[in-house]
Amino acid sequence: MDNYLDVANSSFLAIMGGMVFIFLLLQCTLFLRKAWNRGVESGMDKAKLKGAIRQSMIFSIIPSLPILISLIAMAPVLGIYFPWIRLSVIGSAPYELIAADVGAKSMGISGLGGEGYTAAIFASSMWIMSLGIVWGLVIVLLFLNRIQGTISKAKSKDAKWIPIMVAALFAGLLSVFLGDIIAGSLVELLPGSEGAIGLGLPVLIISAVSMLFFGVLIKKFEMNWLRDFALSFSMVIAMAAAVLVLN
Amino acid sequence: MKTYESYLNSMHRLGRITGVIALIFIIGVPALTCWKFDIFPPLGNLMAGLGSLLVIYIPISLIEVMMYTPMAGIGGSYLLFVTGNLTNLRIPALIMCMESAEVQSATEEGEIISTIAVAASALTTTIIIGLGVLLLVPLTPVLNDPTLKPAFDNILPALFGALAVAWMGSSTSGFSQWKVAIMPLILATIVVMAMGGHAGRYIGILIPGLGLLSIIFARFMYKKGWIKVDSALPES
Repeated sequence: MDNYLDVANSSFLAIMGGMVFIFLLLQCTLFLRKAWNRGVESGMDKAKLKGAIRQSMIFSIIPSLPILISLIAMAPVLGIYFPWIRLSVIGSAPYELIAADVGAKSMGISGLGGEGYTAAIFASSMWIMSLGIVWGLVIVLLFLNRIQGTISKAKSKDAKWIPIMVAALFAGLLSVFLGDIIAGSLVELLPGSEGAIGLGLPVLIISAVSMLFFGVLIKKFEMNWLRDFALSFSMVIAMAAAVLVLN
Repeated sequence: MKTYESYLNSMHRLGRITGVIALIFIIGVPALTCWKFDIFPPLGNLMAGLGSLLVIYIPISLIEVMMYTPMAGIGGSYLLFVTGNLTNLRIPALIMCMESAEVQSATEEGEIISTIAVAASALTTTIIIGLGVLLLVPLTPVLNDPTLKPAFDNILPALFGALAVAWMGSSTSGFSQWKVAIMPLILATIVVMAMGGHAGRYIGILIPGLGLLSIIFARFMYKKGWIKVDSALPES
């Protein structure tokens, strides 16, 4: 099993994806029915309940589309079905790509889909993508009935520092990945190198500039709908540039 | 009529049962794939890689649970943490529905509307992604065309450029986030350059290391008053 895409695009994973899909539909329907019944039973206006369903569904269509775009972007790298499962249950495109890349690098190869990315390394990506993301769910399952009372206590104790600490942790993670890409190109500019900076840094810059541009559009012209799409559009633009301009 | 308390209890039960099934799926998919194709990555490397991510993601998960569960109530919370997409999708949907139904969190009506909103939103996303996969399957040969290879080889730089701008330009944590990112970024770049330009397998040490250093820098700036927080965790 040398080509990991044979595993990634196997009918086995497609069936797994189908099972997860059906489970999610069932789960949502059960919750919806339970809450609906309780609402009717306790005398809430049916129009109010219907209104909430309709509003939530309509609102959710547009912000779901970027998830689809990131799925298309991930498919040639990780296959279709595993990203489908991951993005349907908890996941998000940035997390999945970070975790998949850590899965590759911790096996000692250069990165996702690159030289030496075998089926075993794809499996390592799968494990890290799966086990890294479950903790919110685990905490909820174990502690939801107790957690809600304790929040007020945690809030009063240096509540301002907590969000800074969490942001700093994420900044650390972001820095490692950015630093890896930037350094990979910069070392080529050092004396004695071949001077071929590769595509990494230029693609990174194009993506960043696109995001800035969308940020200006959103602010200047109040194009709020663009907010949800800016990240995936910037990704697609930078990836297209890698093919069209830089290659 | 059953009491509200018995409704909440049965919601806890439903949430736990379906949550555990979701966990079984999450872990079962990689486990069964390894078993079916007889591929087993070396455990030591796997643990090292996973450990480095958990240092970051367990605290993030904890904060997310603390921030969003009071808003989402019991039923909403169980669904939120199975279906994900909190900040971009579920939370805005839930806030919008609760506002337009004129109900508050931590009341019976709020609990019901929030569960309905999260469930309806998650159904929509699940169906859209499912339809997308059906459309995507016939497109696979096109996407795997060698001309497009440079695009997908550079998926990470394409993600991180935009993500860095979005995250550093944001102040959703209550302060200008770029302030905590500058020092770690410079440091990470220098360290990786010193390593010859590729973090490679040392990424497992770099992630927690840089995470810790960023916290130290941030603590220093916070104490000096260089980081000002507008608001702490949202009021519930």
